Amino acid sequence: MDGSVLMASLGSRPGALQTALAGAEPYTDAEVMLRVKAGDESAFDYLVQKYRRPLVSFMYRMARNSAVAEDLAQEVFLRVYRSRQTYEASAKFTTWLYRIATNLAVNHARDTRKERPEVTVSLDEPDEETGTTMDVRDASMTVEESMVRRERLAAIRGKVEALPERQRLAVIMHKYQQMDYKQIAEVLKLSESATKSLLFRAYESLREQLKEFI
Amino acid sequence: MKCEEIREMMPDLASGMAKVTPEIKGHLAGCGACSGKLEEFRKTMALLEEWQAPEPSPYFDVRLRARLREEVAKPQAGWMGWFRRPVLAAAMTVLMAIGVGMVFSNGDGIYRHGDNVVADNDVSSQAEPGTAVGDLSALDKNHDLYSDFELLDDLQVQQNVSANP
Repeated sequence: MDGSVLMASLGSRPGALQTALAGAEPYTDAEVMLRVKAGDESAFDYLVQKYRRPLVSFMYRMARNSAVAEDLAQEVFLRVYRSRQTYEASAKFTTWLYRIATNLAVNHARDTRKERPEVTVSLDEPDEETGTTMDVRDASMTVEESMVRRERLAAIRGKVEALPERQRLAVIMHKYQQMDYKQIAEVLKLSESATKSLLFRAYESLREQLKEFI
Repeated sequence: MKCEEIREMMPDLASGMAKVTPEIKGHLAGCGACSGKLEEFRKTMALLEEWQAPEPSPYFDVRLRARLREEVAKPQAGWMGWFRRPVLAAAMTVLMAIGVGMVFSNGDGIYRHGDNVVADNDVSSQAEPGTAVGDLSALDKNHDLYSDFELLDDLQVQQNVSANP
């Protein structure tokens, strides 16, 4: 594949494929990926634009840091790009994509387990992990209300993070990526029944641990 | 419908990903435990909703483009790339091991040569004193012996130094 064409494609807006999709039969992601395999650069751009937000969001909840999340999401796309020649549309594209993402996130979590600080609550400073003002106090909120909200957020993040690895992955995919049991089961290589049971246990545990905030 | 079946569906029911069918509705109406649990699950789901993820930064595409550019610019592996493959590397290691093994197994000549040297030394050491070969051999051995003694003396001096700082 000609790199310069790919770069131009990634920078183009909207991509040729997206324009083509507007008035044509919808392609499945697997079909789009087969076009990437065949050398259609705009197809790769289409996949990046479609999945960058969900992947950054997934990685953020796994890595708890927005810069790292973006880095990991980019690595997922790089791996997709590297594997384009060997891609087989035997599984759903999202299953393949999230398997790559899951492997990367789990490895990152294991590598940085000792470096990660406890979830803390600070009233005066912006969120240290995102660097954003995600928790900016509403004008109508009192300081006390703002503090309670921050505590609640820290508890949610802390409790989700404290779940066993598989349960955490399943909750993040189910709750925040809106993936169904079947997809989650495929990504985690579990049976559908085991996935249902895994999710029930995870939510039950969260319900129990977060009940003071409900 | 059994409580177990409802519980398996509870995450989807609480998040709104599954519809409450009349059958489920019927079970919930008659089962306080399941309806209570579902209500708590719904509240938990609503609480989890508060944890929002940030949007990708405006630099996401720029950085990805740069990384892709690096990827594309990487030199192709070519035929040398075969050497980086683990299977080939393992095969090469095995071949080398076999090669080294063959050298040693067929290398009787080396040892035979060594044996000959030893044999020669033995012959020289067995040479009678007074003969040129015998005297040279004795001098050689004595020289080695004196050298060892000197080394031992050095060691003793060093020990004394450390003992009396």
